[in-house]
Amino acid sequence: MYDERIGYWVVTRYDDVKAVFDDWETFSSENAQAPVRERGAEAKRIMAEGGFTAYSGLSARVPPEHTRIRKIVARAFTPRRYKALEPAIRANVVREIETMLRRPDRTGDLVADLAYELPTVTILTLIGADTSQIDTYKRWSDSRGAMTWGDLSDEEQIPHAHNLVEYWQECLRLVEEAHRTHPDSLVGDLVRAQEAGEEITDHEIASVCYSLLFAGHETTTTLISNALRVLLAHPEQWRQVVEDPKKISAAVEEVLRYSPSIVAWRRRAKRDAVVGGVEIPAGANLLLVMGSANRDESHFEAPEVFDISRPNAREHLAFGYGIHYCLGNMLAKLQAKVAIEEVARLAPGLRLVDADAIEFGHNLSFRAPVRVPVTWEA
Amino acid sequence: MPKVTFTDHAGETRAIDANPGDSVMETAVRNGVPGIVAECGGSLSCATCHVIVDPADFASLPPMEEMEDEMLYGTAVERRETSRLSCQIRITEDLDLHVTTPETQV
Ligand code: HEM
Ligand code: FES
Repeated sequence: MYDERIGYWVVTRYDDVKAVFDDWETFSSENAQAPVRERGAEAKRIMAEGGFTAYSGLSARVPPEHTRIRKIVARAFTPRRYKALEPAIRANVVREIETMLRRPDRTGDLVADLAYELPTVTILTLIGADTSQIDTYKRWSDSRGAMTWGDLSDEEQIPHAHNLVEYWQECLRLVEEAHRTHPDSLVGDLVRAQEAGEEITDHEIASVCYSLLFAGHETTTTLISNALRVLLAHPEQWRQVVEDPKKISAAVEEVLRYSPSIVAWRRRAKRDAVVGGVEIPAGANLLLVMGSANRDESHFEAPEVFDISRPNAREHLAFGYGIHYCLGNMLAKLQAKVAIEEVARLAPGLRLVDADAIEFGHNLSFRAPVRVPVTWEA
Repeated sequence: MPKVTFTDHAGETRAIDANPGDSVMETAVRNGVPGIVAECGGSLSCATCHVIVDPADFASLPPMEEMEDEMLYGTAVERRETSRLSCQIRITEDLDLHVTTPETQV
């Protein structure tokens, strides 16, 4: 279906979405980070003058450049690295939950009280950025999200344009600093790889930081919020998770299927192609709706039912598929698992307040609950 | 023709004719062999294509690269002596490979 409002061909069936992701030679990701709404003249001027030259770290790059950079960056994203972070992640989660539970009015918001900071601290630690600057990074990320996937007027774009300039300058500074101090961090590793002869430029390293400092937390905040929102809305399944924490990994997969943090992602046809029997001309933009593919009844039985024991939940497309498959998938799932484990242990009696009133941000790709209000018995 | 024999954790066996150039993961997925998820489609990012190679066949395979070795620390069922990620094993002309799929990939 062609959607005239955004100028995209919308792909919604499981097999079609997966096939487009898989065929990177026909369907390029070059438009994945393009502003959905064109930038206004003033925002463009601010960004040009501020030296803003970032576009994408990896997701909108294409082979052979993508292959070269991804190979170098992937080495910094191995399971052993994450596992080393697990104790710190767990300690953070426990501290946040205990703080919330001490509140005398017995009410909390799982987004603000738990999901918001945790992944940000993790990614800042991994990258070697300053963990006392969480709010600054969140402000920059919000601007990046709004400027790329939102629908802002020229006027509204101006403060965000200033934020993007600051954000990019900080990425450049991190790389420059790493050349001098060689820190034990992801930026440090990438700079060391470059110095050892790997083919990656400073601009590319800064672009990877620019990516990760956004991709590395927004979507995980959403995953943790959604996981608790959906599990608490299904008390019988929440009880199973509390009684048998081994079920948590499967529950996280089902949350990713049922309520993926990114509901749609973009591609561009490099040549004439056929998708689901429809002819798509070369140069056309495609919107792949993973949120819909994940509920395609020809792939998932009773797709509207949330069921943590669904055998094929893991075939969801929440992390994409193929050469751009999410590099941070294991880190995201590890954090969600630890968060659920500790909530189930420390606050098994948590209840949602007014679940139907939960609102989501307004945006083309990211479906994120604004608040998840909860309460508990004394 | 090359052949891959998959045995699941319960002992059920499937022998599949394979095409040279494909990976063992692709051979499994195309033929609907259960027990291999391959969530990332072979980009070495998910570790859900884990197999345990028959020790008798293990040495005949080209050795794995460092990144595959690293990713094997992320499998759902802990890696064994002859564990591999099947998206990284290429089918060659007269391959006759025997692998076991783990109890779970999640
Ligand atoms: C629930 C959490 C997350 C979701 C739902 C998610 C989803 C996605 C999706 C849909 C893509 C595009 C895939 C494609 O085009 O085929 C992607 C790519 C990517 N993600 Fe994630 N992501 C999450 C967490 C993370 C984390 C924690 C990190 C890093 C720490 C990360 C880093 C990346 C990178 C670097 C790419 C680009 C990879 C490439 O183009 O080669 N993501 N992610
Ligand atoms: S298919 Fe994902 S690592 Fe092999």
